[in-house]
Amino acid sequence: MEKPEKLIVDGRRLDGRAPDELRPLKIKAGVLERADGSAYVELGNNKVFAAVYGPREMHPRHDQQPDAAVLRCRYSMAPFSVEDRKKPGPDRRSMEISKVTKEALEPVLFLELYPRSVIDVFIEVLQADAGTRTAGINAAAVALADAGVPMRDLVSSVAVGKVEDTIVLDLIKEEDQFGTTDMPVAIIPRKKAITLLQMDGHFTKEEFKQALDLAFRGCEKIYEVQRQALKEKYAIKESG
Amino acid sequence: MIYVQNREIVVPGQLIAEGNYRHLEGSFREGDRIYSAVVGLADIKGDKVRVIPLQGRYVPRVGDLVIGVVIDTHSSGWILDINSPYTANLFVSELVHRKVDLNKEDISKFLKIGDVVLAAVKEVDEYMRVLLETPERGMGRIEGGKLVEISPAKIPRVLGRKGSMLKVIESKTGCTLAVGQNGRIIVWGDDPRMVNLAVEAILMIEREAHTSGLTDRVALMLEGGKSEGK
Amino acid sequence: MEEIVSSVKRDYIIDLVKQGKRIDGRALDQLREVVVEKGVIKTANGSAKVKLGKTQVLVGVKLMHAEPFPDTPESGVLIVNAELLPLASPTFEPGPPRVEAIELARVVDRGIRESEAIDLDKLGIKPGEDVWSVFIDIDVLDHDGGLIDASALASIAALTDVKPPQDEDWKLPGFPLNRLPVAVTVAKIDGKLVVDPCLDEERVMDARLTITTIEDGSICSMQKGGRGYFTREELEQAYDLASAKAVELREKLR
Repeated sequence: MEKPEKLIVDGRRLDGRAPDELRPLKIKAGVLERADGSAYVELGNNKVFAAVYGPREMHPRHDQQPDAAVLRCRYSMAPFSVEDRKKPGPDRRSMEISKVTKEALEPVLFLELYPRSVIDVFIEVLQADAGTRTAGINAAAVALADAGVPMRDLVSSVAVGKVEDTIVLDLIKEEDQFGTTDMPVAIIPRKKAITLLQMDGHFTKEEFKQALDLAFRGCEKIYEVQRQALKEKYAIKESG
Repeated sequence: MIYVQNREIVVPGQLIAEGNYRHLEGSFREGDRIYSAVVGLADIKGDKVRVIPLQGRYVPRVGDLVIGVVIDTHSSGWILDINSPYTANLFVSELVHRKVDLNKEDISKFLKIGDVVLAAVKEVDEYMRVLLETPERGMGRIEGGKLVEISPAKIPRVLGRKGSMLKVIESKTGCTLAVGQNGRIIVWGDDPRMVNLAVEAILMIEREAHTSGLTDRVALMLEGGKSEGK
Repeated sequence: MEEIVSSVKRDYIIDLVKQGKRIDGRALDQLREVVVEKGVIKTANGSAKVKLGKTQVLVGVKLMHAEPFPDTPESGVLIVNAELLPLASPTFEPGPPRVEAIELARVVDRGIRESEAIDLDKLGIKPGEDVWSVFIDIDVLDHDGGLIDASALASIAALTDVKPPQDEDWKLPGFPLNRLPVAVTVAKIDGKLVVDPCLDEERVMDARLTITTIEDGSICSMQKGGRGYFTREELEQAYDLASAKAVELREKLR
């Protein structure tokens, strides 16, 4: 990828968005037949599936928790999801993302209702354009609700960052690569509690506060789309 | 203060009520407020708030009727898959209702891997270890019939209030049904066409479990299906 | 971990087949509904999603620079890889590819390779040093049986979707695809042959035979699976079924 001369021109970003604008977002719940719960998310050029299996019996048994279910997350990228073919199977990056995804989702789940069991969340990125972990978390939250797992709330996630001294919402690949800062955030919208926070780059204290505000506003919008996706799945017409 | 319509579809984290309400299944309380914990239908009766779930795994409770599949054997009985996060244990003495001398009798003649068993949940301990029993006639190993699996959350609708929906299906199709709380249903009938019709009715209930007037529509569909091809 | 089929379901499926019927209401020689969607992935050179009944498979094709094999220094390389994603079935687990995934990839590979569907000789760049490698990656998303047929169809559909890469070493006008091999699996259940078995049927079948044919009806690859056997008459009958159904599936590639 070549570095564009400027990432922001006249207050517009490469894809025409304003700094505080989200990419087009589409969420569908219940898209896979075999999974207990599933969701499909398109965020700009990102295309992500999430599937939930469980609560189900935990193997190996020594990983069981006597008083609660265990949440397992696996984030994975299809070999064709990026410019260069990605070798199949987990690497260090995807293993770290799996871990922070699990920790982003855990706080909303009533895991204590299912002792000794496991809830598996599988995230598959089919097409990537920066922000795949946030898209994956948004999909996983909807898939967990679709599976009927009791939750205190959904979890909504978006990345914010700094591009040419402008704080921007929901970075695309060019902005992620050539911008100054990338900060993926996940929140429990109802409580305004942060469950995922990673950052690399540079922020002053003021910029950090500004970016966080922007992330909260972005998540509010995502939250609404997530809730709609769940309600739509059951808004089926009666037959006859 | 109530924030949703009765029977409205709610999602996890959605505020349902605030103030002096009691929260039942599918909901939880934080301070004065009651929220939904699942995707489901808000159900508010007097001061009771609950959410009828539309999805979810089956969690065994004592007294439930379940349909299990034998997945393993051990020296004194069998392990059954009951379509739940937890497997269940059925001891041979609970199946044959007598003492069995395990040194003298080969218990593999009673049940094999893959066999289907209609049973009741006898015991569930705090570690979710589940024991089954077969105290009534018709319980035990099942033969023939068609096995249908639906979401366990929809089973109450298949039964209907005081079994009303079940009665409609059985009387209109002439089939016999065994309905497990764990989402498995067995349909027996002499006429394969009627068995298929009963299955169709069950799947229709699963699809439209959250709509009202369902019993009437199912009855209508069954009437239509019966006259077709006659 | 394999799922155990309940005796009731097994008896029911076998009973139906005896009467010439199937658990999902199809005739013995009827395919499930097939939907082919091409060009679904921008990051791939070619892509396709195939729905075969409730089974969903996504295939992405990528063209990358690679070193040739020493014995064919001027020819391109074909690599087929299949992932049985844990997303797709409660019995699929994360980890190294299982033998089922390896068989799946190899059967799809042979269908394309042996039919010479891709003219690999045209995919050389610098003899002995640099050639085009065609990566066919199969992502199984939802598993309700028929993975070989769905994956083979999605692979060939994705190949018809390949757009030449933006690369100065690419000199061809288009992607050199000459033939459209199509795999059709026939299962034997209680002595009867059924086409395109769904998962429930796969679990109770005695054996299966996948026959890959090209446009003129000739066979380019076969794979028998399962514990049971086929008689000679059954093989001939299976070929008639598979070659007839391949025509129907090939229609979906347009």
